[in-house]
Amino acid sequence: MNPHAKLICTVSLIMGTSITISSNHWILAWTGLEINTLAIIPLISKSHHPRAIEATIKYFLTQSTASALILFSSMTNAWSTGQWDITQLNHPTSCLMLTMAIAIKLGLVPFHFWFPEVLQGSSLITALLLSTLMKLPPITLLLLTSQSLNTTLLTLLAIASTLIGGWMGLNQTQTRKILAFSSISHLGWMIMIISYNPQLTILTFILYTIMTSTVFLSLAQIKVLKLSTMLISWTKTPMLNATVMLTLLSLAGLPPLTGFMPKWLIIQELTKQEMTPMATIITMLSLLSLFFYLRLAYHSTITLPPNSSNHMKLWRTNKTLNTPTAILTALSTTLLPLSPLIITML
Amino acid sequence: MTYFVIFLGICFMLGVLAVASNPSPYYGVVGLVVASVMGCGWLVSLGVSFVSLALFLVYLGGMLVVFVYSVSLAADPYPEAWGDWRVVGYGLGFVLVVWMGVVLGGLVDFWKVGVVTVDGGGVSFVRLDFSGVAVFYSCGVGLFLVAGWGLLLALFVVLELVRGLSRGAIRAV
Repeated sequence: MNPHAKLICTVSLIMGTSITISSNHWILAWTGLEINTLAIIPLISKSHHPRAIEATIKYFLTQSTASALILFSSMTNAWSTGQWDITQLNHPTSCLMLTMAIAIKLGLVPFHFWFPEVLQGSSLITALLLSTLMKLPPITLLLLTSQSLNTTLLTLLAIASTLIGGWMGLNQTQTRKILAFSSISHLGWMIMIISYNPQLTILTFILYTIMTSTVFLSLAQIKVLKLSTMLISWTKTPMLNATVMLTLLSLAGLPPLTGFMPKWLIIQELTKQEMTPMATIITMLSLLSLFFYLRLAYHSTITLPPNSSNHMKLWRTNKTLNTPTAILTALSTTLLPLSPLIITML
Repeated sequence: MTYFVIFLGICFMLGVLAVASNPSPYYGVVGLVVASVMGCGWLVSLGVSFVSLALFLVYLGGMLVVFVYSVSLAADPYPEAWGDWRVVGYGLGFVLVVWMGVVLGGLVDFWKVGVVTVDGGGVSFVRLDFSGVAVFYSCGVGLFLVAGWGLLLALFVVLELVRGLSRGAIRAV
C-alpha cells in the first residue's frame, strides 16, 4: 500500500480512538467513531481482492448503521433531558438504542454476522487491528453508560455471544475466522460482567487484547492462514509453534496461564451477585470454544503430519527478530501469579 | 404550521424512499434533492435558519452539482425510468396544490412574533446557530480541526479506494 496513505490511515486510527475514549460529549464520541470507520476502510481493502472489497463494504455498512444509531440515541436523550454528557444517558429509548448500536459495533450476537467475513477478507495485521483497537472505543462508551443499561439485555447478549462464538467456531478451518469467533466469545464474557463490576470488563479487555495480539502477530510471522498450513509450520519455527500453543490455551482460559484470570474473577463476581446459574452456563459454553483452541494448539505442535517429510526441520529459515511478539507472549502466559497486584490496581 | 412541518416530514420520507428505490442514479438524485430541501425546511421551522442555508448551499450547490457533473461524464444512453412521467407530474401537482392551500390558510400563524424555537421561547437576542458557528472558530477550534481532518480523511479514503483503475479496489470484475 502507498506509504503516505498508510500513514494517514494509521494516524487517523490513533486519533479517532483517542478522541472517542477521551470525550465526554456524544458528538465528539461519534466523530471519533466515524474517523475510525473511515480510516480503516483502505486498510481492509488494500489487497484489492474481491473478498477484501466485500469485507470492506460489509464493515462500512454495519459500522455506519451503528454510528447512526449512536447519534440517534444521544440526540433522543439530548432532546428529552437536555443532557449531552455520555455518563448521563437516562432516557430508556436511548439506552436501548445505544445497547443495540454498541452490539452492532462490537459484533455481539445477534449482530455478529459481519465479523468473521470481515476478518477473513483482511490481512492478519488488519484483522488484529479490527479485533483489538477497533473494539476499544465502543467498549469505552459501554463502560461509561453501563449503569443505565438494561442488565437483562446485556446478560442475554453475553450468553448468546458465548454460545454462538463457541458453536460456530467449531467447523472453521481458516485461522482468521477461528479468531473472529474467539473474539465474539470473549466479548460475551466482557459484557456479562459490565453491569456488576466494570473494572473486570476493563481487565478482561486488556488481557484479551494482549493474548489476541500475541496470536495474530505469531500467525503473521509464520503466515498461517488455515489449519493445514499450521500443521506443517513447526518445521520452520518450532519454538514459535510451541509458544502459539501456550497462548491459545491461555485464550481458552486454562490455568495456570493468564487467560484464566479474567474468567476466574468474573465467575467469582457473578457468584457474589447471586448469579450462579449464569456463571455455570457461561462457563459450560466456553467449553465449546475450548475445543477449537485445543484443535488449533494440537495442529501447531504436532510433529507427525499426514504427509511424509524428508527432514524434521528446515535448515533454511529467515528468522526475524520480533520483540513485540516475544514480550506479548511472555505477558499472555505468565501473568496469573500477579493477579493480586492486578486486582489491587483495578 | 404544524401541518406544514408534518408535510415537510412526509416529503422527506418520500424523498428518502425515492433515493432507496431508484432505478438508476439520475432518478435517485431527484429524491436526494427533495429530501434535502425538506430537511432544510424542517431546520428553518425549528429556528436554526443559518445552518439550514449552509446545508442548502453546500449540499445542493456543491455536492449535488459535482455528482451531476461526474455522473454526466459516465452516463449510459438508455437508463431505466419510474414509469410514465405525466402520471408522476399529475400526482405532484395535486399534492402541491392541496398543501399550498393549507399553508396559505395558516400563513397568519407563521408570522407571529415570539415563535417558540429550539434556542428559546419568545424573542431571543442570541441566535443559537450563528453563535454556535462563532464558537466553532474561537473556543471550539479543537473540534474545528478534528472536523476538518475528518472531511480531509474522507477525501483521502475515497481517493485511495478508487486509485488504480482496473488494478484498484473498484475494478471491473
